[in-house]
Amino acid sequence: MWNKIINWLEVRVGLGNFIQTQVIEYRIPKNINLFYTLGFLAVIAYGVQAVTGIVLLIYYIPHPDHAFRSVQDIMTKVPYGWLFRQMHTVGSNLMITVVILHMITVFMMGNYKRPRELTWLGGGLSLLITVMFGLSGYLLPWTQLSYWATTVVTSMPTALPLIGEPIARILRGGDSVTQITLSRFFAFHVAVLPPLFLALMGVHLFLINRIGISATPFGMQDEERRPLTEYKRKTHPDGYSYYPLFFQKQMFMVMAYFSVMFVIITFVPTLFFPDEANMPADPNHTPADIQPAWYLLPPYQLLRLVPNKFLGITLQLVLVLVFLSWPFLDSHPEKNVLKRPILRGVFIFLLVMWLVLLSWGRI
Amino acid sequence: MKRRRFLKIAIAFLGSVTLLSFIYALVKFLSALPSRIAEANRLTIRKSDIPSGEAKNFVYQNAPAVIINRPDKGFIALTRTCTHLGCLVEYHHVKQRMMCPCHAGSFDLEGNVMSGPPPKSLTSIPFRIEGENIVIG
Repeated sequence: MWNKIINWLEVRVGLGNFIQTQVIEYRIPKNINLFYTLGFLAVIAYGVQAVTGIVLLIYYIPHPDHAFRSVQDIMTKVPYGWLFRQMHTVGSNLMITVVILHMITVFMMGNYKRPRELTWLGGGLSLLITVMFGLSGYLLPWTQLSYWATTVVTSMPTALPLIGEPIARILRGGDSVTQITLSRFFAFHVAVLPPLFLALMGVHLFLINRIGISATPFGMQDEERRPLTEYKRKTHPDGYSYYPLFFQKQMFMVMAYFSVMFVIITFVPTLFFPDEANMPADPNHTPADIQPAWYLLPPYQLLRLVPNKFLGITLQLVLVLVFLSWPFLDSHPEKNVLKRPILRGVFIFLLVMWLVLLSWGRI
Repeated sequence: MKRRRFLKIAIAFLGSVTLLSFIYALVKFLSALPSRIAEANRLTIRKSDIPSGEAKNFVYQNAPAVIINRPDKGFIALTRTCTHLGCLVEYHHVKQRMMCPCHAGSFDLEGNVMSGPPPKSLTSIPFRIEGENIVIG
């Protein structure tokens, strides 16, 4: 019976040929390491968010009068609602962590360099969309934390002269965070961002497939220093098969991901739920020490440190632009970051600064 | 048994158990009916609001219901959801029946099926009389 189904599919779709050429005969560089699995892990993390998000939509009500109650009902009354909500919340934080780690390792291995500039750009834009996912989803439970953190974050653009106020008004749908803001953020979270993200992800994966997997710059002669005059797909004829070697690495990381997720859900279930995350939003009372999500703390703290708000936000926009266009700015042929002391120093300095700002922002 | 075969069976077993646990949780999640997540509320109606032979519709645990003051037998509270295909039955003052507008099912004032396609009686809702009030639930 099983063989008949396989045969039925085979004569129509040629699945066997596809698996043979794209999975079994697909070669990956011999010196590939565990960090190469982070991109795949990010896709899995997005998948978890999509599935749990759709499940939560069944009971969530996007209205200020019902949003908090419906989320509390999901946590306390709907069978296993707590599981899907926890997976979605913990998963959102883990997903951003995985994407950041993916970008750091791509940077460290110089894999953003030509001909992969567009792949980096697609990944960088995907990271920005991931942060927007987090930002828009943060408001939906309509808690004190989500309400006031959103108030703070949507106030940031007001530092820009002329266009700042209109941007803030468009984001909120008014002068303050109201029902209109909740509707906007909900629509953004479930209907606008997912297709945008999928399109970007499609381009990103297409480019990876088209250009070919880059070898690590460590311990191997890099052939990509040749002048780029014509399209040539990077292949690794002497490499290992994707299946089972690399597939096993990917599965190992997926299991590690779920292990971390369930350790947090089981042993530190309140990690992402401070007291203010369990109180309904009160537009007439701002709680003390309100903070945005951890991944927004570095820009938030930087904005607080720079005395001039306009200067602070401009600096951040410049940093984002430099980050996105880095492959076009860095024309040095050397991929190995260990052989580039200045770049290595700047990178470590920026990473430490990011961590310092993150920790400082929590105080 | 060869090591490779053992590993394959072990992975297939663990994978299936993991998948089934999530499917189980998802099925339980989806089967949470509104009445199960609704507050277990109590409802108070004044006796004087329902003269003899009259009825009053209300909502109890998210489900439409009716309380009828029967001329000889006193109060009874019934769900209004027809047991045929879920339309809402209406109290018919003249016929002293509960009538379904969809497929002409009819019930007596005890909730029993009198005619038409409904397969079961209407469910009665518990209540008690406290002085001048009827406390439902």
